Amino acid sequence: MNAHSGEIDTFLSIDNLTVEYPLGGGKRVYAVTNFTAHVKRGETLGLVGESGCGKSSAARAVMQLPRPTGGKVTLDGQELTGLRGKALQAARRRFQMIFQDPIASLNPRQTIRDIVAAPLEIAGIGTREEQTRRVAEMLDLVGINSEQALERRPHEFSGGQCQRISIARALILEPDLLVCDEAVSALDVSVQAQVLNLLEKLKTELGLTMLFISHDLAVVKHVSDRVAVMYLGKLCELADAETIYRHPVHPYTRTLLSAVPEPDPDADRAVMELIPGELPSPVNPPSGCRFRTRCPYATELCAREVPQEREIAKGHIVACHHPLIN
Amino acid sequence: MGEIILDVQNQRTAFATGRGLLQAVEGVSFTLERGKTLGVVGESGSGKSVLSRSIMRLLPGTAITGPGSRVLLNGKDLTGMTEHELRRLRGPEVAIVFQDPMTSLNPVLTIGKQIAEVLVFHMGMSKRAARAKSIELLRAVGLPQPDVRVDQYPHQLSGGMRQRVAIAIAIACEPDLLIADEPTTALDVTVQAEILDLLGRMVRERNMAMILITHDMGVVAGRCDDVAVMYAGRIVEKAPVRELFGNTRMPYTAALLASIPRVTDPPHRKLDAIEGRPPDLINPPPGCPFAPRCRFASAECQQQVPALEGQGAHQYACIKPLNTGVAA
Repeated sequence: MNAHSGEIDTFLSIDNLTVEYPLGGGKRVYAVTNFTAHVKRGETLGLVGESGCGKSSAARAVMQLPRPTGGKVTLDGQELTGLRGKALQAARRRFQMIFQDPIASLNPRQTIRDIVAAPLEIAGIGTREEQTRRVAEMLDLVGINSEQALERRPHEFSGGQCQRISIARALILEPDLLVCDEAVSALDVSVQAQVLNLLEKLKTELGLTMLFISHDLAVVKHVSDRVAVMYLGKLCELADAETIYRHPVHPYTRTLLSAVPEPDPDADRAVMELIPGELPSPVNPPSGCRFRTRCPYATELCAREVPQEREIAKGHIVACHHPLIN
Repeated sequence: MGEIILDVQNQRTAFATGRGLLQAVEGVSFTLERGKTLGVVGESGSGKSVLSRSIMRLLPGTAITGPGSRVLLNGKDLTGMTEHELRRLRGPEVAIVFQDPMTSLNPVLTIGKQIAEVLVFHMGMSKRAARAKSIELLRAVGLPQPDVRVDQYPHQLSGGMRQRVAIAIAIACEPDLLIADEPTTALDVTVQAEILDLLGRMVRERNMAMILITHDMGVVAGRCDDVAVMYAGRIVEKAPVRELFGNTRMPYTAALLASIPRVTDPPHRKLDAIEGRPPDLINPPPGCPFAPRCRFASAECQQQVPALEGQGAHQYACIKPLNTGVAA
């Protein structure tokens, strides 16, 4: 039944995660439904999909921001979903997040020193001098000249530099898990490359486990060991990065990959055709397989039964009645 | 040579700021023929959007256009035209599609009224005829149920559908030149492919010329005849698309291409990032604007700004171009 069993030494385990938001009149937005993924220590799991697929809701639910409607999140044996108040605050040191908009996520009225020291302040760690020393170390680690930066404010820095500062703040408590939600999406490509290289370097040096959320499949491939593809709140396919890009078997994964505009004039630009129409509403998702209204392979079975997740090769999980296995 | 639709000569656009004059577009010249698509690529602040607005004459009051700048559309000089004259051209001769269809469409008018408005103003159509034509245009841009959608408001449509409406408005008066300024940046990747296909089809079917402005090398790679790369307000390289990707001469273009993550790369490949950041356009560095970040730069590069030169269709602004061993 559980396609995700077989995995040992799981560090972050997300089991049957469900996120629903209440609307008026008894309606609900089914943002994430029964999402399961297991991440090993030191591994990066990429989470991709288009707007409304639930990737950010899933990431926030892992962070307990807010707590998920259902399911369990376990980090290194500690069940986060069961924690409350002080215990949750203490556990938060171990998992931190960076957001999409690097400028909006820094308080414009604070100095860089105070912004990066905030987690230490909240956790009650160190004297003011010790904190400042630690902030300077972190800034140097992310490639910001600490001597010049400490007393400045965010508006004096570019988007790429602000994102480096956000990374310094997220890592100052030495977390085990870093959740990056579209962390490089607002950056220009040359700066994006700098920040991606930095994240890769830090991951190796600090032994971080990462959950990397992005709509950009090429970016996700660059940082991920394994990749999960989501559509309308459900997992479609999960496999190691090489496999999912080379041998995608879920029709949605294949469509998504075929639509990536490659910077090569001779690349094949034929996008796998979807059934014309719009993304269904997560308030009223289709019965059975949620992708079936756009899927060219859909049959009556897809409308009737929710496809179960199955492991078609070691570590390659797909939820589809008609996977594209040659 | 085909019929020249657009001839931009030495376009210079600056903005007065508190710190001094910001030179957003500096000496840009190019021509565009009917039926051709020119891709304009650049990062934030490279001047690509200011260039598109300079061509459309849609600049704010703080903008200062250089005295020698000229924009000829079908041979007519837009530079000295009054707002009244320009309004007569926008629509029938040149039209623009913006990045965010939610802010470019009017939220309190039905989409049918917004298309019909153009047809009544420019083509002198009756309201009834304009409505019929609006439905036809919505069908042409692939909007499902056009006879129902025509009476809906922008908020009732998805982002992709709104961009289709914006395209319908832009092509309503059969312009000779269509400017698409980051038309798919706000859209998901599968929708992006559909909208780019649609734009390409409209340009072919109606034999228009198009300027496709984007930050994404992947978008221009498959969908343009020629590509101009902008950096710090200037075109630094311009070539037919295969030539640009296959025989890159300007180090900035090469560095930009190398910094792009690709789905075909193996996982965890280290990207060749460009160190540093684009120059301050109020106090630009001396000489080549890319020199401070260029790994091939020498003292010579900082002496004067290199002109955009080259043999035939491939032009580049660099005194130390790459691939010099290869015959152009």
